[in-house]
Order: sequence, then C-alpha cells, then structure tokens
Amino acid sequence: MSARHERAVAFTLNGRRVGATVATHETILEVLQREFGLFGARESCGQGLCGCCTLLVNGTAVSGCLYFAAFADGAELTTVEGLAKNGELHPIQRAFVEKSGFQCGFCTPGFILMTKELLSRHPQPTEDEIRHYLSGNLCRCAAYPDIIAAVKRAAELMRA
Amino acid sequence: MKSFELVEPATIDEAVALLEPDDPGVRAIAGATALVPMMKARLFQPTRLVSLRRLDGALRGVHEHEGGLRLGALATLTELERSSRVRAVAPVMSRALRTLSNVRIRNVATLGGHLAHGDPHMDLPPVLMTLGARVRAVSRRGERWIDLNDLVLGYYQTTMAADELIAEVHVPAQPTGARTWYEKFTALSADDWPTVGVAVWYRTDAAGSDTTRPTVMTEARVAVSAATERPVRVPAAESALTGAAPDDATFRKAADAAADAVEPLADLRGSAAYKREMIRVHVRRALERAR
Repeated sequence: MSARHERAVAFTLNGRRVGATVATHETILEVLQREFGLFGARESCGQGLCGCCTLLVNGTAVSGCLYFAAFADGAELTTVEGLAKNGELHPIQRAFVEKSGFQCGFCTPGFILMTKELLSRHPQPTEDEIRHYLSGNLCRCAAYPDIIAAVKRAAELMRA
Repeated sequence: MKSFELVEPATIDEAVALLEPDDPGVRAIAGATALVPMMKARLFQPTRLVSLRRLDGALRGVHEHEGGLRLGALATLTELERSSRVRAVAPVMSRALRTLSNVRIRNVATLGGHLAHGDPHMDLPPVLMTLGARVRAVSRRGERWIDLNDLVLGYYQTTMAADELIAEVHVPAQPTGARTWYEKFTALSADDWPTVGVAVWYRTDAAGSDTTRPTVMTEARVAVSAATERPVRVPAAESALTGAAPDDATFRKAADAAADAVEPLADLRGSAAYKREMIRVHVRRALERAR
C-alpha cells in the first residue's frame, strides 16, 4: 500500500486525544477495534441498517461500518465505553439495566447511543419520537417494549 | 474494500480539478453512505475518491431564495428534515425525509450525493421533480442548470459528466394552494427501500365569486420512482388530471393511466405485474392524500 493510501488521523476518543495511522478504505469501526481495543461498537449488518455499530461523531449518531476512519480526523468521538464516569454508569445505562432493556445485549450499545442523541434533542420524548429515532436499530431478541420503557426511564433520570 | 487514493480539497475549484472526465474510478464522495456498501460488495472499486467534507462553506446551508429554497449540495438530510424553511416551502419534502432510511444515515448522507447517485429507489428525486426543482452543476468548464426531470437517465445513470459536481438545488416558490404528497410503499419491512414511490403535485383554479363553476385542476404533476429503472414523470396521468375536478373518479382515471404507462422492473420486491398494480393503488392514494 502506498503512502497515498494511508492517512495519519488525530481525534478525541471518549475525552482522550489520540492518533492513528489508517488506510483510506478502513472504517472507523475497524480502527476502534484494532487500534483502541474498543468493541462496544460492533459490526452486524455492515450496511447501516441495524445500528449495532453506532457511535457519536461530534455528538451525532453515525453508523461506524459506513464511516471512513479518515473522516474522523479532528472530530470528537464517543463510544459506549465513554459513557460511564468514575465507575458510575451513565443514567441511560442505568435505565436500561433497571428496565431490562435487552436480552443478549449485542445491540445494546447502539440503542444506548441513539438514545443519547434522542435525549439531547428531545429531553422529554413522546413515544412517537422514541420509535422514530430507534426505527433504525434492530434487536433480534425483540426486547423492544422494554427498550422503549428504558428510554422513557432514562429521560426521567436525565432530568432528575 | 480495496484501498484507494483519498484527496480532500479545500475549494470547489480544487475539487473539480481533481475529478477526471474519462475515469469512472474517480468519484466525488461526501457522506459515503451510498458508496461504501457498493465498495464493500466490490460493485465499485475507486482508484481515487475526492472527499468534499473539507470544502469551504459554499456548498452548505439551507437558504430562502425568492420565496423558494436554495439547498447546498452538502446539506445533510437531517439538516433538511429539521429545517423550518424547508417545511414552510415544501412540507412534502420534510415528510418524505422522515421515512428516508434512518436517523444515522440522514445525519451523514447529503442532498448532492442522494441525487448524484442515480439510484431509482431514492425518495427525494420524484418529490423534487414535481416541485419543479433544478440543480446547479459545476465543472472545470463552468456551470449549468439541470432540471430534476432530466437528471437521472437510467439505472444509476445521470446526465452528470464524471467530472461534474452538484453544487446546489433550487426549489422554486410554490404557488398558493398547490397540493402535494409523497406516497412511499415498502413491500418487505417498513424500513426497506420503497417498492413504489409516488409524488404528486397539483393546483386548482380559484373559483372566486363564481360558485356555479366547479373547481378544476389547472396543472398537475405525477412522478413514479423505485418500481422503474429511473424516476419518471407520467404525462398520461397528468393529462387525465388537468382540466378535471379533483374528485375520486378523476383520481382513479389518472391512477389507471399511470399503471398503463409506466414500465415496472421485476426484482426481489415484486414482479412487474405486481408493481403495476401497486402503482395504480399508490398514485390514487397519493392524489387522495394531497387533496
């Protein structure tokens, strides 16, 4: 691979300044796993449909499987690993535990990060807004009713 | 995916200079949400991608323009979905955006990429065709305006040259009382690509003081997408509507005309015969819901 096909990138990852050399065709999902050992965002469909690889780029949810790592240069990235502070789970994580908003947990990081974007825009979301935001996240265990209850509980905890 | 050269120009002039008129392996890229799946499937193996993400502000923003809209090609679909300006001029666009793919894709995908991709399943081309929109395309040779009706020539084929970029989209001011709707029919899951997309637009004459004269449609536009190899206007349906009253009988006549005129393609979402019937149903529904 020639130098033109590589890129040095620097970004903030869960509050820490980091850098990496990436191939132009690598997705941010691949780089998070290979360079930083972060597996919270994980590939499932590989087409942006299922939401398992969700991460926040400058506070906005994106599909990590479709997002070139080179495009993350200069951005602020948040993965599910960055939510807990000082050993305390984030209120959204607590709400998912409290309401059992999962079964196997494979899709849970994606749901939690979509919920984070939702609540940043709609602190008191209607059921319709919750469904609208989460319609692009698939849970093959079909824990959907508990996930929606968890999102409502998260909104309460975030306001408290 | 195979590796490729990635360049990130800072100006439009630099960007168009990096595109190649005769090399299909060189493409502009913005959000990348449509091209990455094609690259993963090895349907598209670029030698060079010209990223537009570092361009100056020229291609960004949602602006009001003479009562209509000027939409930067790099505006994300989320920006358009949330824009009060878009909602005021073209509420049919705001509604169509709500069910276009999902929040994450809309956060990243751009209007220019959505149109330049030439995929017949995209939701906005039929809507913009009925709104009378035009795109401004730029290249080393200068700029030109392309009517949305002339943009997509075939399956993933547009009239754009390989070294042309979409800079912006103009949606003209809409006449008072124009009625619009976009009907999206997904035959598989709710979040699938549409099996049939139908956009309709019509306006009626103002009955004024003469209440004995029935209201008739003075102009009508019907566009069908997804079932066809490219989004198409349907003149046979439009002439069935023009000069007639916007009533159930007229709408049925227009829906029949559309079903007869359009050539659907068979694929995993249904046979050509099935799609023809779905065009009949959804043209009628779109007209009813526009009323």
